Amino acid sequence: MIELLDRAPCGFLTFAGDGIVVDVNATLLEMLSAERDKVVGQPFESLLTIASRIFYQTHLFPLLKLQSTVEELFVTLRGSDGSDVAMLTNVARREENGIVLYDAVMMRLRERRKWEDEIVRARRAAEEANRAASGLLSMMSHDLRTPIGSISGYCDLLIMGIRGPLTEPQLGDVQRMKKAAEYLLGLIEDVLNFARLRSGQVIDLDMKTLDTANVLMETEALIGPRMDQAGIEYHREGCSGDVRVIADPDRLQQILLNLLTNAVKFTPAQGKITISCARDGDHTVISVADTGRGIAADQLERIFEPFVQAKTASDPASKKGFGLGLAISRGLARRMEGDLTVRSEVGGGSTFTVRLKAPAST
Amino acid sequence: MGESVLSRNNVKVFGNGEQPMLFVHGFGCDQNMWRFVTPAFSDDYKIVLFDYVGSGKSDLSAYNKTRYANLDGYAQDVLDVCHALQLENVIFVGHSVSSMVGVLAAIREPSLFAHLIMVGPSPRYINDPPYVGGFERRDIEELLDTMDKNYIGWANFLAPAIMKNPERPELAQELTESFCSTDPVIARNFAEATFFADNRADLPKVTVPSLILQCSDDIIAPTSVGEYLDRELPQSTLHLLKATGHCPHMSDPEETIAAIKSYLSSATSAEIELAHQ
Repeated sequence: MIELLDRAPCGFLTFAGDGIVVDVNATLLEMLSAERDKVVGQPFESLLTIASRIFYQTHLFPLLKLQSTVEELFVTLRGSDGSDVAMLTNVARREENGIVLYDAVMMRLRERRKWEDEIVRARRAAEEANRAASGLLSMMSHDLRTPIGSISGYCDLLIMGIRGPLTEPQLGDVQRMKKAAEYLLGLIEDVLNFARLRSGQVIDLDMKTLDTANVLMETEALIGPRMDQAGIEYHREGCSGDVRVIADPDRLQQILLNLLTNAVKFTPAQGKITISCARDGDHTVISVADTGRGIAADQLERIFEPFVQAKTASDPASKKGFGLGLAISRGLARRMEGDLTVRSEVGGGSTFTVRLKAPAST
Repeated sequence: MGESVLSRNNVKVFGNGEQPMLFVHGFGCDQNMWRFVTPAFSDDYKIVLFDYVGSGKSDLSAYNKTRYANLDGYAQDVLDVCHALQLENVIFVGHSVSSMVGVLAAIREPSLFAHLIMVGPSPRYINDPPYVGGFERRDIEELLDTMDKNYIGWANFLAPAIMKNPERPELAQELTESFCSTDPVIARNFAEATFFADNRADLPKVTVPSLILQCSDDIIAPTSVGEYLDRELPQSTLHLLKATGHCPHMSDPEETIAAIKSYLSSATSAEIELAHQ
């Protein structure tokens, strides 16, 4: 090596096409506490730790063969005293008198490695926690669903009088128990759905061309009584047989039911909920607009985060649920190659928009 | 299904022969790694190349962590490709971990395959005395750590590189291309599926004849592993290559090609002889 390279503050090493080291600078020898003759003439691979040898064989070597150069790869060399010497490495191929040579430049990582270790540790811990949380959610929900299902079933037996007649107050109590059990089952279903979406499990989708009028008819049948009870005015605009959408019917209904339930929850009596359908280029958009209190700008994206609900301290009813509905709905919309977004301003109501693919023929 | 598998796995088919040779890449790279050997077979065979979901130019959105948590999911990719192209009498050529993927696929559907050619195979990488796989668990954990560190600079790793000195003239056409690109999280899962696998019990179930190409001085698949495979696999042939390292099809393609051709021609003569008896 020329004197300049020997004095440079980084390691230089050249190995031949067969992997045998042909030259090395003094700096690298010093880093490895090694004599020149223990490095030159040896396979480059033999200077690496076992893990880095695997990485060399599975990544570095194939990449060098295919693209002749690699940059900023992390490898660990083994010092002659057995210590690990972490390096950031660039390697490039050249030819000299018809002979293939690979030149490697190596920067020793000391402080930076500590930070990188910390990043890797933190990421692993986060992944682990995430996995554990998803597993727990899913297990807990399964375990809860069965006994609550039994409670609901036995309530039905009592309500139907199969175990003998109930007095009026007893019947009222059992009906309230049944309602509470069903509410719990709904929550558990949300948690299971969410855990499935988050863990990336395949959700079977039965994508079909749907007529928005039909989809809404079924959804309205489910939500209509609650709107009447809450004294809310309901309008439907443009959702006819002509406006069609490609979606899984059950999943789309789940999304719309969630949006309408939220709208009912956040809209005061005498308020108005409008659902509208329209074609927009290759897509169909279905919007649910309410005249509720609206959502502050800093909350707009947060409401799609799991376990987050819009701040509604004054309204105890709105605290019901786990805050998973919108996270699930957006997840489902995206699985169907669409999206769910929101526009809102405080005092001016909110509009949630589902955007899904439209069939070519409409 | 057929069409979607072809795009999902970035399937490439070429060559003038009838009998398919399915070349399957290993962990860390993609179908590009076969480019030094496939031209030698394209006159006589139908060459089929693909990328596993999660590797190369496959459809990353089709990746499913559960399916690819072990080698069965990768074997399903192999079978999916065979079915999509309606392949029969397939000569399966698998590098490294894909040798065991081929074993799993051939156990599930033996009638699809004529031969399994294994380049640098190992049924288990971690030592389990008296079995010697070559590694301790901590070596593999350190490898995962090395991969994680490389993810920090992954953008560079995957960036399309200008090919300055291509080793083969035909590569000069492709001035910029990203090789072996893999999503970092998927690559890590693949590493775990590979290096924590134990397929020793599957070997005796293979009914398809096989060739084991064993490299000299291969840290990933030591010679003792090649000998173990030869003992455990019914109808196997062990061929020791002079090529060193783990990628003889890249470091010494000529020797690798010659070994495969010699095996296939002797296997064909044996079949003809059998047919005449």
